[in-house]
Amino acid sequence: MTATAPIIDLSVGQLATALLLVAAIIVVSIRQGLGLERDLAVGTIRAIVQLYLVGLILAAVFAAARWYWVLLILCVMTAVATQAAVSRLGKPLPGGAWIAAIALTVSTTATLAYVIGVVVHPWYEPQYIIPIAGMILGNSMTSAAIAGDRLQSDLRARADEIEARLALGFSGRQAVQPMIRASLRAAMIPTVNGMMTIGLVQLPGMMTGQILAGSSPLVAIRYQMVVVFMQGAATALGSLIFVRLATRRYLTPAHQLQRYLL
Amino acid sequence: MTDSIFEVDHLFLSYPGARGHPAIDILNDISFSVKRGGALTLVGPSGSGKSSVLRCLNRLVEPSSGTVRFDGRDSRSLDPRELRCRVALVMQTPVMFEGTVRDNLCIRPAGIEGDFSEERLAATLDEVGLESTLLDREASTLSGGEKQRVTIARALLRDPQALLLDEPTSALDPPNALLVVETVSRLCAARGLSIIAATHQPDLVHRLGGGLVYLIKGRVAAFQSLDGPDANAPMDARLRAFLAGEKIAGGSGLT
Repeated sequence: MTATAPIIDLSVGQLATALLLVAAIIVVSIRQGLGLERDLAVGTIRAIVQLYLVGLILAAVFAAARWYWVLLILCVMTAVATQAAVSRLGKPLPGGAWIAAIALTVSTTATLAYVIGVVVHPWYEPQYIIPIAGMILGNSMTSAAIAGDRLQSDLRARADEIEARLALGFSGRQAVQPMIRASLRAAMIPTVNGMMTIGLVQLPGMMTGQILAGSSPLVAIRYQMVVVFMQGAATALGSLIFVRLATRRYLTPAHQLQRYLL
Repeated sequence: MTDSIFEVDHLFLSYPGARGHPAIDILNDISFSVKRGGALTLVGPSGSGKSSVLRCLNRLVEPSSGTVRFDGRDSRSLDPRELRCRVALVMQTPVMFEGTVRDNLCIRPAGIEGDFSEERLAATLDEVGLESTLLDREASTLSGGEKQRVTIARALLRDPQALLLDEPTSALDPPNALLVVETVSRLCAARGLSIIAATHQPDLVHRLGGGLVYLIKGRVAAFQSLDGPDANAPMDARLRAFLAGEKIAGGSGLT
């Protein structure tokens, strides 16, 4: 926790000054008739309250450094991410929350296993495991949401094509293969594109944080590399598991497309 | 050995409603049979369940209860993929896959045998009234009527015993619709194919003969034999009007 360079702490007064920026945006919103004032105000208040609460909880968990507190926090994070992932679906999928929970838990755990096994000892060292798990979970969540949304809208839009294939003797899996491929690509592309320009356009959040906290950029980039590769793995695994399981809900063992779910 | 290709017995179909809503009934106690090599047409307003009946016959849709017997066997005892090759479906809007007409005719799951030789493709196109020069055309550049006849040829290449036609002419202009009607009725006679068609075209009904089922809201409202010993039975007034080319009262889409 000790930084190598002095860290400038932010006083409450300095924080309050930052609110002037929000006030300025609200004025712009009113002047331009954007209609965003209410959302901006609510968003600002939520940001303050949520971050403050998270700060308090993390401080307590860091101080305690007990594995069960860490596990509880990981579970809550996964539950929130699960909810967010399925809320993006245009039409609710029965059992969708379970599918998302499985996809996120498996992809995050498998990816974290690397950090736990190779980097962090003991595994529940909260200072490392909670922020890293959060970043991985966030990627899994986004990719599962994108993949699920794309899968559902493609199955809906191309239902006639799928049934035409089924009617020609294709299996359910064969008939939806093009839609599975398209949804996995859609989920993976932001991550792959992000890897292409990483560090050139903006410094990744974690690296920025470490540098602000006084770490050497050369230490920060090593962590960032690990995180980028883990995010890639989590993105692929999360969307793959979600799409595979969701596809099984939309199809029946008798190779039928359940159109009423779309 | 039965002389029926299809025996449909007390078929019900419903879908679970959205949360807090009752189930949606699509088919309600449908029974009929189709003779081997015979025909049956389904008429009725849009949303009366014609397509759903066809989809139960090749098991693209699972009935909630009741049985469909194909060729004397419960259709659930067959692999659905095999059933669908023996009972081919031609849909209302022709689906063309990426590629040429040849690609569209030959598309099949890996490991499926069959004669897809050049001569056979040309002969089958000829059967549906298309030139074999079309084989190398991009399928997406065909007219609606040509696409529909390609989908019929695609179905025939599987050597089906029965052909299901889901309003095969409703997306076509009258001249093209007539071509498809002629193609289909010729096939019925020449190949001994059993044909079950949902249609709004009295023309097609006349040409196919066999049985005529009038569906309203998923129920059989009237039935008529168009040939055989029962053909002279008194006909339901609505069916007589339909066959004479009139719109059926309340039949929004029945033209």
